[in-house]
Amino acid sequence: MAILSLQNICFSYGFTPVLKDVSYDFEPGKMYCIVGKSGAGKTTLLSLLSGLAAPNSGKILYNGEDVTKIDKYKFRSKYIGVIFQSFNLITKFTALENVVLSMDIAGVKGGGKKAKAMELLQNVGLDEDEANRRVLMLSGGQQQRVAIARALSYGPDIILADEPTGNLDTDTQQEIMDIFRKLADEGKCVILVSHSPDVAKLCDERYELVKISKKKKN
Amino acid sequence: MFIFKNAIRCILRSKSRSVLLGIISLVIAISACLGLSIRQAAESAKAETLAGMSITATISFDRQSMMGNMGRPQNGSQGGFDKEQFEAMMGGASSLTLEEYETYAQAASVQNFYYTLTVSVDGNEDFSPVTTSSESSGSSAGTSFGGFGGGGFGGGKNPDGMFGGFGADGDFSIVGYSSYAAMTDFINSTATVTSGSAFEEETEEYQCMISLELATYNNNLAVGDTITIVNPNAETETYTLTIVGIYESDAGNDFSMSVFGSGQDPANQIYMSANAVAKLIAASESVSTTVKDDNGRESETAMMESLTATYVFADVESYQRFDAEARALGLEDSYVINSSDLTEFENSLTPLKTLSTMAGWFLLVILIIGAVILVVLNILNIRERKYEIGVLTAMGMKKWKVALQFMAEILVVTMIAIFLGAGIGAVSSVPVTNALLANQAASQNDRADRLEQNFGRPDGFDFGGFGGGFGGGSGSRPGMPGGNREDMGKNPFTNYITEVNSAMNLTVVLQMIGIGLLLTLVAGAVAILFIMRYNPLKILSNRD
Repeated sequence: MAILSLQNICFSYGFTPVLKDVSYDFEPGKMYCIVGKSGAGKTTLLSLLSGLAAPNSGKILYNGEDVTKIDKYKFRSKYIGVIFQSFNLITKFTALENVVLSMDIAGVKGGGKKAKAMELLQNVGLDEDEANRRVLMLSGGQQQRVAIARALSYGPDIILADEPTGNLDTDTQQEIMDIFRKLADEGKCVILVSHSPDVAKLCDERYELVKISKKKKN
Repeated sequence: MFIFKNAIRCILRSKSRSVLLGIISLVIAISACLGLSIRQAAESAKAETLAGMSITATISFDRQSMMGNMGRPQNGSQGGFDKEQFEAMMGGASSLTLEEYETYAQAASVQNFYYTLTVSVDGNEDFSPVTTSSESSGSSAGTSFGGFGGGGFGGGKNPDGMFGGFGADGDFSIVGYSSYAAMTDFINSTATVTSGSAFEEETEEYQCMISLELATYNNNLAVGDTITIVNPNAETETYTLTIVGIYESDAGNDFSMSVFGSGQDPANQIYMSANAVAKLIAASESVSTTVKDDNGRESETAMMESLTATYVFADVESYQRFDAEARALGLEDSYVINSSDLTEFENSLTPLKTLSTMAGWFLLVILIIGAVILVVLNILNIRERKYEIGVLTAMGMKKWKVALQFMAEILVVTMIAIFLGAGIGAVSSVPVTNALLANQAASQNDRADRLEQNFGRPDGFDFGGFGGGFGGGSGSRPGMPGGNREDMGKNPFTNYITEVNSAMNLTVVLQMIGIGLLLTLVAGAVAILFIMRYNPLKILSNRD
């Protein structure tokens, strides 16, 4: 059964249509790659999936329930983990504090949040010293790892990542993709947006968005 | 809880912004603290002084009300001054008797009651008054008011027992005190018996005290000597008084009001017991005859007394209750109850009140400017941290929680500044208040001095001396027919409160906290408005 389902989604910026009648099902335990040319609506689709935007028409179902009927803050903070292209970390906080903050926002109860955050950061390849550094003091790859750890910190069912390997060297790309593969194997639904054919090859399924062509007026 | 922790973290991680916000808040806090402290000092000074102050009051005829009634057009008349109406009203306004005064003294609010009887007398060739060069010696028959000022118009009796007893003004004033409590000059230590002793409190004997100045001036009198006084209306009517004490008083030293007769000079006052004065008057009345003046107006030759009754109250509340109680005991509406103590007290607060009002406006301006600065700073802060707001909301943090975090940041900084400001204010408020108060008092004194100069009385002029009651015997100062005689020659407004001991208290601290909360709310409201308008997707898209 699909954990996330797109049903006839249409979206436009003003009079410019970006997505038209898009339907697709995402299942848990699989890694998906949304591909397409620039302007095809990949990032827009990611915004719709993450609840940051609402479609003009059609439905997005999360476990069969219309996402628009779910509290969008709850959806974003608990059910879905988003890894933005530019990481979007709180720069004045340390890597550890960023991860703990996402747990606080998700309402994770009980103590041991710091220990769990540290464990997550270590799992994505950061040591204790790096975890206690402010994120601006970390490299792009390290920030990407922090963003992944943050997205995993509250245990969401779905992981969304926008160009997760865009700024990384080949070795680091491979390490990051390994992390995503592991998450998919653990039963999570991993949805990646990427230009890279190499990334698409490593995914279980590939969904290509086609840019809507403008009709010429006679 | 994590919101508060985040707020603290953000404050510590953005030191320059926090310090800037803190400095501005501190300046606002210190200014607000000074303003509030000055206002509090004014309130405290008033309350403390009133708490330790016993109030004296007198009953006088309500001249203003009477004049007001006269001014109203009646029965189609054009209004304005009507001489006949005035005389009719004056005739209908009888002075209160001692029995009436004593009746009102039964009121529960009255703590003590005393009175003075004053008569005007002449001396003989062996007993002459202290005079200044510009004063005429001897009696000024028939034209003088028996006690200008607080005590008003005489209050002597003409044959009808009504107001308007215009009798002869003698060289001396005999003041009869009902008790030692009425002798406020001696109680307040402005007068002291330097030879002999005071007369017996309720004696009917013709015992008296005279001033040192009078004893030595041309008279060469000592304790045990006798003096002869003469009824100014009947030269053959004489009485002999025995001197039992000689006193020295500060009040007579600066008397310079030559427009009054010598009898008004404090040096020419003779003190006796009220019972002895009553006996003197009774004796005079027993030999009284009726005479006609040049205008054919009849009057009695008996000496006319002025009765001054004073009520003492434990506190202001008692004084305020007295009006209703006296009315219940029969005091007519045409009489008013006044307290010169309270008036003087109010006058003494003038600089503090002025300062307090100025402090209030200063506080208001500071709060408005402070709020505007904080709002502007907060707007800049929010715009600068727009990305952070976008990230937090994109992560699922509710907008109101983000706004709460921003408010908590302002609140923490503002409160630290408020407490620091309160501490600095506590140390500096008293000296600053006293310095401002001294300036204010000096300004008031300068103004009074200029007024005196304008009136051509550089040596002093009692501007308040003419403003008292009109009725029989209601001097504004006990034992002083004619009102504030001891103030004559002095600026009546010199006893200003020029020093406060404490300005800061719990009320000020609570008010400061209130101001901190208010400023936080105002600045925070702007934060909420901005944050609620922000769309995380737009913020992050622009960033990307």
